[in-house]
Amino acid sequence: MTYQRTPTQDTLRYQWNVNVIGKPALRLNRWLAQLRQPKPSPYLAPPLNITPRTKELIARHYLEGRYANLHRKVAWVTSGAPAEILKALNFYVLYPENHAALCGAARTVVDIATEAENAGYSRDLCSYARTDIGALLSGKTPVGKLPKPDLLMACTNICQTVLFWYQAVAHHFRIPLILIDTPFVYTTASDQAINYVWRQLDAAVPIAERVAGDFLSSRKLEQVTRLSKLAAELWMQIIERGKHRPAPISVFDQFIHMAPIVEMRGEAYTVDFYAALLKEVEQRIAKGISAVKQERKRLLWDNLPIWYRLRFIAEKLGAHGVALVVSTYTNAWAELAPMFDPKNPMASGARTYLHAILNRGTGYKLAMMQKMIADYQLDGAILHSDRSCKPYSIGQMDQRDRLLRESGVPALLLEADHGDPRAFAEEQVANRLEAFVEMLGE
Amino acid sequence: METPVIPHRLEIIHAHKAHGGWVAAVLPIHYPRALFRAFDILPVEVWGPPRIDPTLGSAHLQPYVCSIVRNALAYLLDGRLNVADFIVVPHTCDSLQGFASILIDFVKPTQPVLPIYLPRGKRLSDLIFLTDEFKALYRTLAELTHREPSPADLMAAIEREEQADDLLAQLHHGRRNLALSQTDLYRLIRSREYLPAETFVEIAGAVVQSARSLPPPNDIPIMLSGIVPEPLTLFDALTQLNAYVAADDFAACGRRLYERGSRADPFERMAERILLAPPDSTRGSSMQDRLDHLTTLAQTTGARGIVFYDVKFCEPELFYLPVLREGLQRANLPSVVIEFDLNDGLTQQTQTRLEAFIEMIGGTQ
Ligand code: SF4
Ligand code: SF4
Repeated sequence: MTYQRTPTQDTLRYQWNVNVIGKPALRLNRWLAQLRQPKPSPYLAPPLNITPRTKELIARHYLEGRYANLHRKVAWVTSGAPAEILKALNFYVLYPENHAALCGAARTVVDIATEAENAGYSRDLCSYARTDIGALLSGKTPVGKLPKPDLLMACTNICQTVLFWYQAVAHHFRIPLILIDTPFVYTTASDQAINYVWRQLDAAVPIAERVAGDFLSSRKLEQVTRLSKLAAELWMQIIERGKHRPAPISVFDQFIHMAPIVEMRGEAYTVDFYAALLKEVEQRIAKGISAVKQERKRLLWDNLPIWYRLRFIAEKLGAHGVALVVSTYTNAWAELAPMFDPKNPMASGARTYLHAILNRGTGYKLAMMQKMIADYQLDGAILHSDRSCKPYSIGQMDQRDRLLRESGVPALLLEADHGDPRAFAEEQVANRLEAFVEMLGE
Repeated sequence: METPVIPHRLEIIHAHKAHGGWVAAVLPIHYPRALFRAFDILPVEVWGPPRIDPTLGSAHLQPYVCSIVRNALAYLLDGRLNVADFIVVPHTCDSLQGFASILIDFVKPTQPVLPIYLPRGKRLSDLIFLTDEFKALYRTLAELTHREPSPADLMAAIEREEQADDLLAQLHHGRRNLALSQTDLYRLIRSREYLPAETFVEIAGAVVQSARSLPPPNDIPIMLSGIVPEPLTLFDALTQLNAYVAADDFAACGRRLYERGSRADPFERMAERILLAPPDSTRGSSMQDRLDHLTTLAQTTGARGIVFYDVKFCEPELFYLPVLREGLQRANLPSVVIEFDLNDGLTQQTQTRLEAFIEMIGGTQ
């Protein structure tokens, strides 16, 4: 005889594990972390005070995910997907890319991605995809357990890779995949492209409703979109504080604190979190605290972070008084904020999601970098040529040349991979960084 | 039958230009041939090409970009595409999308670059979008050529392409009864990449006409899958190994067996034909659709194993392999993956692996 759990028992189990045990434990963890003194760096400012809260938020998100299948529907979505519709339908929304980034930071990628490689996924594929597919096949994850999805949503505004990746996941779980296909934007999006995306958003609603077993409330969608917009606006302000000399916050800080803007958009607590982060950044400016203690040179970072060597690169540059103050990557979740119109979520969503940086031409990205160089008074740029991410990396060789020729700043092309340390040659990277910093001069 | 005489690519290009027509260099894979022909533009496809010095392309593209894209750029920078009046780049994959973007933003060739976005589904929204995309392309071509083909002109061009595609399908499906070597068959199939439809119809028509019922070959039937069969000597090598290509799932060949359209509007008809083509990774087909297609193809042609012959770094193809291979294995269809770079030719390693695979499936008869 098999024992069947009732929905009430499932909900009770969820409440017990998440709200009674889990969250208070995480809160306690945060308090303890706040009491601990972080190891000081001779070159870098201490971590932002909000760091334990960031960790708590992320841990809470994955804790809820771990038990989500017990009491609500789960959707896996790509980082550029219009998740507001799913949030408004009360899905637990998981971002596999974020999970893979977390695996990168936790240095578990090789172990997990090998599971996918053993199943036949080539090492030439994006390491995010390999990591998540490896996690799905083996159950390995540093967050305990990932919830099984009931629905998938892939938006091609970051790459085509996600479409193939999600096709594989849809096949594995035999669940519906909502595709939001976003035609590439060279200058501005054509009417036909906007209408196309809008039609797909409209068509996504009944599919999501069917899986959710509920109807989409336009009031809820408006509210979620408003919260997304508010959080993105705050994130934009935080990034823009980097214009201050010396910069109060570095790109490395942004990498660490960007998880909520990616995976917790549309939540009131995310807005509160970024309001608090902005406040702390402003306090740093008031107190004269800079991310790099002796800021001498200021640089831009292009492309994804090298998640498993953030500290190494930060220290390497910091030792020479070099601060990374702005990045095209973290900016991607800020620059679209003005386009969101909560009163008109579908139409504005169609336009907004089309204009993601990775869905735009290489010339647009160059223009954005040049503007950042002027606005943030930068001395150079590091372009991470990310073996895993062709859409972000193609064009960088020309962009590097033009930054030098047109903006008069040197740019370094740094070969690596955002997640897979097997594509990272530490000594070579260290030497190239040293040589580049030397070239920047005094 | 004798080896059909297929005019050379350059011969065709010069003849077409001599009568005042234009030429478009077209990157892989799907595009509306009829639309270009209605403007008297001859599409000539650029699949790499193989065995050229890729150094010029390496100044703009990282080494982890596939050789089709790197070679195409090197070819263009070397002035070898100067004969083309337009460069057409379908957004087949991230690499070709990036290629189109750097052409437009940085490389700036003398010819206009015309990107075409292909939707990744076959829903009504995809059909509407692709139809609109073709209408936009029509307007651009009208501006550039100062011509405005009428709907009847467009339909006539579509009819010519449909006739050529019918014959192409007959070559594929009736290959057993064609007295052609495998290499000649694929040379003819691939001539569709540059021959005007009417010339192709003439040559392929004669070949199909001369088909007769031949005894089944003794060789081991296999299927090939991938983006493009390069170099053509691959087929000589297979023949020597006593293997017979019973069917293919190449993006350049079998995945472009477009059926006749049903719609009366020419733009919708061109869009419909592409969206309803056999499953293709680059058009975002589901794993199941591709698996069903391959399994059926193998079963109907008697193929006993599948060679996935993939261009190195080709993400769209690589992603599908694990699911396809597992599903095929369940259907008792063994497979092997061989990756290649266009500039390497047919390597000894490839030949050895093919030999081992064919021996293996030959032995399990
Ligand atoms: S890292 Fe690049 S290729 Fe990988 S999922 Fe993200 S955008 Fe796509
Ligand atoms: S081989 Fe693959 S990656 Fe290269 S152009 Fe063709 S589809 Fe794109």
